[in-house]
Amino acid sequence: MSEQTSKQASRVLVIGGGFSGLTTAVDAAETGAEVIVIEKNPYLGGRVSQLNKYFPKLCPPICGLEINFRRVKTNPLITLYPMSEVESISGGPGDYNVTVKVNPRYVNENCVACNACAEACPAERPNAYNFGMDTTKAAYLPFNQAFPQRYVIDSAHCKGDCGKACREACKYNAIDLGMKPETKSFKVDSVVVATGWNPYDANKLDILGFGKVKNVITNMMMERLASPTGPTGGKIVRPSDGKPVNSIAFVQCAGSRDENHLAFCSYICCMASLKQTTYIREQNPESKVRIFYIDLRTPGKYEKFYAKIKEDANVAFTKGKVANIVQAEGSDDVLVEAEDMLTGDKVKVKFDMVVLATGMEPAGASQRISGVDYSTDGFALSNPGVFSTGCSKNPMDVAKSGQDATGAVMKAIQTGQRR
Amino acid sequence: MAEQVINPDLNFVKDIIASGGESLKKCYQCSTCTVVCNVTPDSKPFPRKEMMYAQWGMKDKLINNPDVWLCHQCSDCTAQCPRGAKPGEVLGAVRKMTIEEYATPGFLAKMVGDSKYLLLLFALPILIFGAYALIQGHTSLGSIPRGSNGEIVYALFMPVFPYIDLTFGTVAFLAAVSFFFGIRKYWSAMGGGMSMDGNIVNSVTETVSEILSHRRFQKCNVTKERSTSHLLVFYAFAGLAITTTWAIVYLYGFHRESPYPQYDPMKILGNVSALALLLGITLVANNRLKNAEKAGKGSYFDWLFISVIYGIVITGLLSEILRLAGVAVLAYPVYFVHLVFIFFLFAYAPFSKMAHMVYRTTAMVFARHTQREG
Repeated sequence: MSEQTSKQASRVLVIGGGFSGLTTAVDAAETGAEVIVIEKNPYLGGRVSQLNKYFPKLCPPICGLEINFRRVKTNPLITLYPMSEVESISGGPGDYNVTVKVNPRYVNENCVACNACAEACPAERPNAYNFGMDTTKAAYLPFNQAFPQRYVIDSAHCKGDCGKACREACKYNAIDLGMKPETKSFKVDSVVVATGWNPYDANKLDILGFGKVKNVITNMMMERLASPTGPTGGKIVRPSDGKPVNSIAFVQCAGSRDENHLAFCSYICCMASLKQTTYIREQNPESKVRIFYIDLRTPGKYEKFYAKIKEDANVAFTKGKVANIVQAEGSDDVLVEAEDMLTGDKVKVKFDMVVLATGMEPAGASQRISGVDYSTDGFALSNPGVFSTGCSKNPMDVAKSGQDATGAVMKAIQTGQRR
Repeated sequence: MAEQVINPDLNFVKDIIASGGESLKKCYQCSTCTVVCNVTPDSKPFPRKEMMYAQWGMKDKLINNPDVWLCHQCSDCTAQCPRGAKPGEVLGAVRKMTIEEYATPGFLAKMVGDSKYLLLLFALPILIFGAYALIQGHTSLGSIPRGSNGEIVYALFMPVFPYIDLTFGTVAFLAAVSFFFGIRKYWSAMGGGMSMDGNIVNSVTETVSEILSHRRFQKCNVTKERSTSHLLVFYAFAGLAITTTWAIVYLYGFHRESPYPQYDPMKILGNVSALALLLGITLVANNRLKNAEKAGKGSYFDWLFISVIYGIVITGLLSEILRLAGVAVLAYPVYFVHLVFIFFLFAYAPFSKMAHMVYRTTAMVFARHTQREG
């Protein structure tokens, strides 16, 4: 017993502050480990913070996130580095040296999130959080419940005198335009890679019309459209003309299970589309939904959710992958073409809006961290001392990410105790 | 739903895989292929259902199916297939097996489709023309008679009558008979239970007009250029067929003996057609190589046909050049090889890819006639 307590605390560095990274950090710190969290964005919560609702319970994810934010805030063993990126990892289990680049936020801890800087800011930027469907000022709070609750200045969109206007508007001396990128290095026992995923770039799906055909959006855009904090305040209207959506198609496997794009099944898209069906059906009782699929994958208890959606007479399911999407002539409607395999005929159907159920591309597909091993698809691989978790390891839903992260914590603190 | 018993023919599946459809089993029935296909009818489109029939070994559904010939192997399906199942290549293999199924005699079809019999197939014309040469006592270069000015005259090496015309006349007749029986079987196999009360003449006329213009071919996306190269080969063959008929008229109608002067209109047509064929077949081969990644590399059956056409056109042009240049030591052997290739093309036409000309036309007429296509 005495030997056990005399050991030093494990030092764990977590890359990514999304749901998996946060769970890792909180679970590890609450066992007594010292945790450093490196997050690329100015806020924590990652992709989950962008979701309108969780499946299958259909509760808002921000509840769950807030609980974790509070656990992070009150735990002195956790140190957060938002707007930071890991540059390299060297060393071995029990003795890693991690180099981190901390990017300037231009707003210090004096910030009380009063919005004065944003009001004064003359420049705007496309809002990446809402997938470019609206804009924010160049001095902005990423979203209303963002943690840390602190503004950011987007220097790429705030040039010349722009920053000065923000600084002069701030009564708390919170704006520091002289901030420079910093490089820090940390000595840790183990690393957990929780870099998550990006929505697959729908522009690459040339036959599905995204970017060329109006009112073709992705499932993540749909989350923002349906969210009360989204660009339309939660009203699902079509982007081109703001018309209410009466008919909508979901195109499953948009890029997933396709060796030309993502060779694997992204796991969540079937449930996501069924969940999003409830968004539109609740808002508009007249609306009609049609889901085009190869196979609907709703494993385990999710089968119940699928069965419930199937009972709705306004929801149709068509077995057959959509392989052609064009604009309907003379309108902003969208024509979707597929083979209805159960009748064996090609169908061309018009919709107000089309949602591409794009899959999860692991972060490692576009950005690799030196010192981490990856599969050919870009999934991070686990090694002794460096553990991959959540969607950077495999496509998974939020519940599974939580469980997986807890497993990674076990491995990470074990590595620290063995040194 | 009525109960349906499926009796899978596993050997048929193996044969498709061996005939260039090796990617068949990768298909997971998403039907991307049918949607991106520009040449399929909208009702009961191909090739998704054909991929299923092929995986399940439902031979009858494929062998009696005109759809496999409505497919022009644009390869749009293959390029967009999420699994690399190459439906275009699989249907190509099914077409080869359709030819094998209906061609008479069947053993010859199996031999043409299998590379291990290639030498044997070539041995037949080599022996025939070799025997002709020996019968005439052509044991050395000096023993081959020359023209009055000492020039090379192929008709003195291998007299048109009886050797050339009787041989090729017989071969062409046998091929035609074989085609006739094959097509008769195929038509009745496809026609089981179909209503056919339209005007057959209209169906034939419309099909021929479509073939002459290559309208269908031009709907391809990924391999768009193929319609041009195929058109060139098609009309080059037509030109050569006219040249041959013309030569027969000269010989038997006007008793004019070859060789004919270079400025003779028949000679000009022949030469232009030969050059068009050379260009066309080169474009065909180039397109196949260029598109191999997206469209698949083609099968032995495809490449054998392309190679035979190359063999004919190159030895044909060389025979003429060497004859005019008076290089006897090369001219006679090259001409001999030329005859061997022509024999190969004609004698094995009902069993080789050449037969696509006849089966495809039949299937296209059938599809129109049964309102499968308007």
